Amino acid sequence: MTEILRIAVPLTAWLAAFSAVYGLHGLVCSERWDAAGLDLAAGRIAMTAAWAAAIAFQVVLLIALLSPRFASGSAFVRGVSLTLAITALVATVWTLLPVVTTSACL
Amino acid sequence: MNALRRHRQLERIWASRPGWCGKLTTVNNNDIGLMFLSLAITYFVIGGILAMLIRAQLATPRSVFMGPEIYNQVFTMHGTIMMFLFAIPLFEGLTVYLLPKMLGTRDLAFPRLSAFGFWCYAFGGSLLIFSLLAGIAPDSGWFMYPPLSSTLGSPGINPDFWLLGITFVEISAISASVEIVVTVLLYRAPGMSLDKLPIFAWYMLIVAMMILTGFPPLILGSLLLELERAFGMPFFQVGAGGDSLLWQHLFWLFGHPEVYIIFLPAAGVISTVLPVMARTTLLGYGWIVAAAISLGVLSFGIWVHHMFTTGIPHMGLAFFSAASTLVAVPTGVQIFAWIGTIWKGRPELHLPMLWILAFFATFVIGGLTGVMVAMVPFDWQAHDTYFVVAHLHYVLVGGFVFPMLAGLYYWLPHFTGRRRYFKLGKTAFWLVFLGFHGTFLLLHWAGLLGMRRRIDSIESGSGWELINLIASISGFVMAIGFALVLIDLLANAVVAVRGPRNPWQAGTLEWAIPAPSPSYNLASIPEVHSRNPLYDVPDLPLRIARGEGYLGDPGRGVREILTVEVASGRPSSLVIFPTNTALPIVMAFVTGGLFIGMLIKAYWLVPVSILIVTMLAVWWAWSLGSRKDQGPQPVGHGLVLPLASEIERPPGWWGTLFLLIANGVFFGSLLFGYAFLWTVAPNWPPPAWLEPYLTGPLLALGGTVLALGGIRFADRALRRDAGPWLGLLLSLAGLAALGSAAATVLVRTTHNAHAYDATLWVIAGYVLFHAAVAGIMTVFLALRAAGGYLSARRIGEVRVVRLWTDYAVTTALLGLGAAWLPGVLT
Repeated sequence: MTEILRIAVPLTAWLAAFSAVYGLHGLVCSERWDAAGLDLAAGRIAMTAAWAAAIAFQVVLLIALLSPRFASGSAFVRGVSLTLAITALVATVWTLLPVVTTSACL
Repeated sequence: MNALRRHRQLERIWASRPGWCGKLTTVNNNDIGLMFLSLAITYFVIGGILAMLIRAQLATPRSVFMGPEIYNQVFTMHGTIMMFLFAIPLFEGLTVYLLPKMLGTRDLAFPRLSAFGFWCYAFGGSLLIFSLLAGIAPDSGWFMYPPLSSTLGSPGINPDFWLLGITFVEISAISASVEIVVTVLLYRAPGMSLDKLPIFAWYMLIVAMMILTGFPPLILGSLLLELERAFGMPFFQVGAGGDSLLWQHLFWLFGHPEVYIIFLPAAGVISTVLPVMARTTLLGYGWIVAAAISLGVLSFGIWVHHMFTTGIPHMGLAFFSAASTLVAVPTGVQIFAWIGTIWKGRPELHLPMLWILAFFATFVIGGLTGVMVAMVPFDWQAHDTYFVVAHLHYVLVGGFVFPMLAGLYYWLPHFTGRRRYFKLGKTAFWLVFLGFHGTFLLLHWAGLLGMRRRIDSIESGSGWELINLIASISGFVMAIGFALVLIDLLANAVVAVRGPRNPWQAGTLEWAIPAPSPSYNLASIPEVHSRNPLYDVPDLPLRIARGEGYLGDPGRGVREILTVEVASGRPSSLVIFPTNTALPIVMAFVTGGLFIGMLIKAYWLVPVSILIVTMLAVWWAWSLGSRKDQGPQPVGHGLVLPLASEIERPPGWWGTLFLLIANGVFFGSLLFGYAFLWTVAPNWPPPAWLEPYLTGPLLALGGTVLALGGIRFADRALRRDAGPWLGLLLSLAGLAALGSAAATVLVRTTHNAHAYDATLWVIAGYVLFHAAVAGIMTVFLALRAAGGYLSARRIGEVRVVRLWTDYAVTTALLGLGAAWLPGVLT
């Protein structure tokens, strides 16, 4: 099962981060955010921080999968898990890029 | 023992009973697979007839062929049948039939579950077809958007057929997925490590995981909408704190992965058939596996691209637009790997190859228009027009139907044992291919000219008349083509001459089996050393028949099968499978009572059905296991393995784990819905939050300690060969306390007062239900212990109940915590 986890974790982490940032975006644009005394700038900072944390987590995962301690002993699983870790890193950067490039709540 | 004698003995052990009764009681993967395939094709014919009715209606302006009421039912049922009753069951059937053979095993992991899934599909589908014949079919579109589908827009029974019938059918998809995941992970030929899995098995593993995580949001949405319709719980009614957008989120959380759930099995067929047609091996196996996994997961991050016109802020649109463009990359990787496979091989233009080429031509166009609608500004123009209708048919017909036809023609000699003799197939191919493009290519233009989806007639002078006339004529040409395909398949299956076992010279294990397949699939289980075992050992079929593999001696007279370690493929245990039984069909029938009770508002039938289903489930589980430790058993080649019932994590434990993953997604979707309403719904906060009180949290905390501690105490006692009674009693008391904690939420809220109260009712009901299930399982465990079915070695059942108890406790803490938190904070 460890081999399956090596393959499954990176993209699952992307999905979790993507959903979490989308949820955070919903919260930032809601009345609840105003009611808590927070403004849009704070929202932008929160979303950017979440994005940065997601990227950092993916980088750590990639390094871990490259390291002898966590890398798979099977060449096939090692190849697939690294490909997927790179995919997840690219996906995290690309799909959440809008947090710094587009208007938040228009 | 010679091969013939072995065959006769194995047939006696594995075959279903003779006659029609055999079909009702069979649990054999060959029977169930063929039954799935036959019924799915029947539904395809029905869905196709409905499509022809649609094209007849739209062939000429202001047509009076159908009124709007009937037309709405026809297009709703066309989409519903094709998506739920045809596409998914078709690949399930193919998988149920083929997967064990490809993996080098004798059946799927849980044969009775296969049969139960089939009967749920058959009964659930029948409900929908009945509604169609009775003129009370669902009529709100296959996506069932409220308020059109709620009592405000559809006060009749029509949407209830959809919500309940489809949920009933989805039991089948979830059952099949649990089966497929556990089978691919554990039930393989020895030596078949992950890098040697047949590529189709990888695809189906991914698809099954997608079903387990993609279907629960829809099941939840259907449940919530049905609760709203039946009991006035206003989840989707804005005036009472609900939001109809919640439905769209839940539906498309399922709906977009669904597109890939349908495409990926077809991609698995292409990856299997194409190399054989090209006389080579698959180029980039590892890349294809990585691309398929990427596609499977990325497809869960693009559901909002179906909601670009709902007023979501730009940033949200940009997230999903970016993700939508990203899925084109792994799709492209697969397409290029297939083109590379053709390039490096020596392709032969047999009929399966023709269908694959038709797939390329059609699916690439569908993919490109998909990238177009992934662009927000374009989607705003094209949304809800025939451009989208044309796009989705290019993707689904090109990406699913054509490859599956390639697969059906490819495996036809394996299904029938006959050589394709009649040549209608090529004529049929051209009629379907040309008819399809004649129908849908021009409809892109109709959409760009402004023709809206779901309209029941077109106006003269709209500029769409000629396009629709051509589309309708082409549609009928396509229908004639599909009819010829069916005639061709039937003729070749029934009256063609006998053919060789492996006419395509393929390398995968299903071609090592006599055709048509015997009930036991493999006379002995071979050891494999590559992805194409038949290329390594050409006389492997003979060796298998001679019993030179594992389990070649059927002397014990029971259905035997091996499990392997997930990664390495080393043999790990011996499983004894259950025999033919009417239990699955009876249980599916009684489960149907639950849905029919809701449908006809005979609510007394619901608890009665639940009670009988519970009794049947206990009977089901009771028939497994043994009263004494049997120790390791010989399986051939000098290897001795423990029985699966005598290991800590038997296949049932893995099945439970994956079922609970699906269940966890359901629960997560429920919490998402709660958070969505709290954040977005206009009429929030509710008039009053649930007031803080101590009884509930104290019961929950006490229950947690007792339930978790008790089941572990029982486990430890059994491992010391002591009685588990005290531990089980403590666990039962803990679960009762958790249930009581949930009940305190129910008595403090009114189910239909506000969407907040309604949500709390569902959360508390969920916790109560799971505490009850874990409680029943704990009582069952006590009875099993008393009956002598548990021991230090036979501990697997305790581990299954422990898993359920842990799950019940975790979801109770999360759910009840979410219910109490707003009251505490304010």
